[in-house]
Amino acid sequence: MRVASLNAHRTVMAEYDEMLTWFVLALLSIGLVMVYSASIATAEESKFTGFHPTYYLIRHGMFILVGLVSGVMAFQVPVQTWQKLAPYLFLLGVALLVLVLIPGVGRSVNGSRRWLSLFVINLQPSELMKLFAVLYAADYTVRKGIVKHTFVKAFLPMFAVMVLVGSLLLTEPDMGAFVVICAIALCTLWLGGFNLKVFGGLVFALPLAFAALILSSPYRMQRVVGFMDPWSDPYGKGYQLSHALIAFGRGEWFGVGLGGSVEKLFYLPEAHTDFLLAVIAEELGFVGVCAVIILFGGLLIRAFAIGRQAAFLDRQFAALLAQGIAVWLGVQAMINSGVNMGVLPTKGLTLPFLSFGGSGVVVNCIAAAILLRIDWESRRMMRGLPI
Amino acid sequence: MNYATSIQTTGIVALPPWRSRMLFVALLLGLCGLVVRAVYLQGIHNDFLQQKGDARYGRVVDINAHRGMITDRYGEPLAISTPVESIWVSPQDVDATSQQVKQLAQVLGMNVEEVKNRLFDTSHDFVYLKRQLPPEQAEKVVKLEMAGVSSRHEYRRYYPGADMTAHLLGFTDVDDNGQEGMELALQDKLGGKAGSERVIKDRRGHTVEDVASIRAPKPGSDLALSLDSKMQYMAFREIKLAVEQHHAKAGSIVVLDAKSGEVLALANWPSYNPNNRAKVELKAMRNHAVTDLFEPGSTMKPFTVATALETGKVTPQTRINTENGVFMVGGRKIHDTHPEPSLTVSQVIQVSSNVGAAKMALSMTPETFWHSLSEVGFGAQTGSDFPGEASGKLRDYKKWQPIEQANIAFGNGISVNLLQLARAYTVFANDGDLKPVTLLRQDAPPAGKKVFSQTTAQEVRAMLELVVQPGGTAPLAQINGYRVAGKTGTAHKVEGGHYVNKYVASFVGMAPASNPRLIVAVMLDEPGGDQYYGGQVAAPVFSNVMGSALRLLNVPNDAPLGNVLMPPAEIIREEA
Repeated sequence: MRVASLNAHRTVMAEYDEMLTWFVLALLSIGLVMVYSASIATAEESKFTGFHPTYYLIRHGMFILVGLVSGVMAFQVPVQTWQKLAPYLFLLGVALLVLVLIPGVGRSVNGSRRWLSLFVINLQPSELMKLFAVLYAADYTVRKGIVKHTFVKAFLPMFAVMVLVGSLLLTEPDMGAFVVICAIALCTLWLGGFNLKVFGGLVFALPLAFAALILSSPYRMQRVVGFMDPWSDPYGKGYQLSHALIAFGRGEWFGVGLGGSVEKLFYLPEAHTDFLLAVIAEELGFVGVCAVIILFGGLLIRAFAIGRQAAFLDRQFAALLAQGIAVWLGVQAMINSGVNMGVLPTKGLTLPFLSFGGSGVVVNCIAAAILLRIDWESRRMMRGLPI
Repeated sequence: MNYATSIQTTGIVALPPWRSRMLFVALLLGLCGLVVRAVYLQGIHNDFLQQKGDARYGRVVDINAHRGMITDRYGEPLAISTPVESIWVSPQDVDATSQQVKQLAQVLGMNVEEVKNRLFDTSHDFVYLKRQLPPEQAEKVVKLEMAGVSSRHEYRRYYPGADMTAHLLGFTDVDDNGQEGMELALQDKLGGKAGSERVIKDRRGHTVEDVASIRAPKPGSDLALSLDSKMQYMAFREIKLAVEQHHAKAGSIVVLDAKSGEVLALANWPSYNPNNRAKVELKAMRNHAVTDLFEPGSTMKPFTVATALETGKVTPQTRINTENGVFMVGGRKIHDTHPEPSLTVSQVIQVSSNVGAAKMALSMTPETFWHSLSEVGFGAQTGSDFPGEASGKLRDYKKWQPIEQANIAFGNGISVNLLQLARAYTVFANDGDLKPVTLLRQDAPPAGKKVFSQTTAQEVRAMLELVVQPGGTAPLAQINGYRVAGKTGTAHKVEGGHYVNKYVASFVGMAPASNPRLIVAVMLDEPGGDQYYGGQVAAPVFSNVMGSALRLLNVPNDAPLGNVLMPPAEIIREEA
């Protein structure tokens, strides 16, 4: 119904969600251009890249290509198949998270053990795990029938699984992925109709748990303190954030122009990954930042619309899956932007679809493809066509 | 719908839509919050953030000002700043193969090991490989396109006159600041003012963007010295020749414009090449003519005689008892090399009688004598503003013993520099006016200071003409076609408080004597051969330089050609 109202001007309903496709393609394109712009100086001056200015551009372009191909392939997979595979995929994800921690198998960068070396590419299991967690949470919620209201049966197994995954992620450490997966789990439970009182208790308990986590590790503590007041130690703890904020300030409304960023010239670390939005802010200004946020907003609108459409059609798994993906991408984008703008502590999360990183881009594309598939199936059902 | 029943829906009847809507709204509100934050950062708080940014990568860099050119009085360049390149390295960024290192060393003309050490000296962010390369050579380095190796613009001083003008001009350091000589004296005018520019630099120090020019560099002014480079060349060549010929330790020569006091030439030997100071001995860098003192000896006598004439106690014809060449003052003997029972005042100058000069000095009060010497500039700097100029020693007359007053009469117990001595002779060239001495070109002759009366000055000048005549001590100073007035000096050197048998031979003279245009002062330190008298070693240098200089200036002859008369040689001898 909402899908129909959004496309009211069309006489013939499209086969798939064109808007969503364009949002995703726009985000990928902005990402490609900005990754190149943000990385060109570091790539040119770095021994690691062999002094090729297009080092990151070529790789990111290839990732997007692989992502699009994976997306097209994922689109062919019926939602039902995803649901059947959900527990096994989740187990695979857990296995990969264990593998990554084994010395010699997992690769460590900047003190974090997040990557698996697979011949030519480095796989980041935590990125995969986000998708698997969405699938699992949706499947779990549907299977267990949370409506039964029993705390022990409905919640504890899920809780136990999340604690396991969470502890694996925190060992890497990958705080960002942990937060995103927690958000996915909680939101899916919430959407599935989980008991309000228990949920209320959780909403109180979780911040306390987070606070404990942060206080228990000096590494995380440091990041939090840096975020509170980056100007108290701008060359130490607050270094990254202060440079990200300067980039925003320099950009003003319309930016210094594409390619004109100074922050990317070795000042801002991770300019092409975690702090890509700061470079966008500096080069394209408020207009650029707004465009990215609006595209993510559009993505959310479409994903929730698809989810509610599926719910309307009594496709509970698909509905939870679509909204779970929306929560995942939305929360990750928000946390990344919040970190860039200094309202959240530094996490090490990428900006979905935009930041440099193979696993992330490919998994994000698959997620978008699943959204499109759910929508496509809903449209077929509404027309009474077989899936 | 078959589909709905075909999937497992073990408990859920329907998903509560309000929960979905609430979550959706919460997420959108989150995004809206981010937009608000972006507005704050980019539209409201941006000034503060930009200021922080400027503090991080905004830099004020100096722009070197082009150093002014030094020219001679006719605009001939003597010191020029030429653009050069300095090759520097950022060792962190270096990624060179041994082949590349070898190539680089070859282009730079450096040792491969040394180049390697500097390239990989990661303890520094900035290392000079080689400074001040000619642009062509630097271009070859840049063409190697090695990461981390860059070149930057600088200026290097070049002195076309090399050793000829070395002492006078001095030199600049590697940062183009004057260190010696006129380069130092005129630093304020030549150096100009370095400008500054506000730039944005990346973290590695490369300039990314010129934000604003805060102050444009003010290039230094070009300055014209009083020097005449042709005369300088002749003076330099002659003094070098004389030093070598007479195995002297050193020699100096000063040529002054008699009317204006401008220094037309000033040269020393030994000298050095300021364009390549790698292996210069310190003693070769001394500007003897200005910074070193010597006892002038008999070249002081004209001032003694002039003072005596001025007091009215003697006339040029007054006979003075010269005591057969030995005169006792306070238990000390004063000798003459040519003992005579008596000499006229003129003859005292002509044959350089110490006894005669001493007697004249003793006939005055110490104050009168001291005042007169002080008036012609002894015991004080000349005002040439040459860095490190020695002021000379003229002791307070109140402390004088009679023997000291007698000694000063023939130039012992007083010390001068050659420029000071040459300048003092302007009083005889300008009818009693002392001219200020200057190293900068003057547009109009500066006013002099009356020291002696016109009559006195002219009388002394007439006596000085006798010196170069047969019967005088310096017939070798004669010049074909011009009348010459001058005085020889041959002073024992003082070592450890005693006079030793080492000499400073000098000659100071002017020409044409009828209306002097130039003054030339020559000094040779420790001539080592058989000849060491001023009349033997310094007078010929005077004659050669003065003769060429007068012809160069097209000064009309004031004597018939062929006026040079050579006497028997022994009269040339004189000491003091």
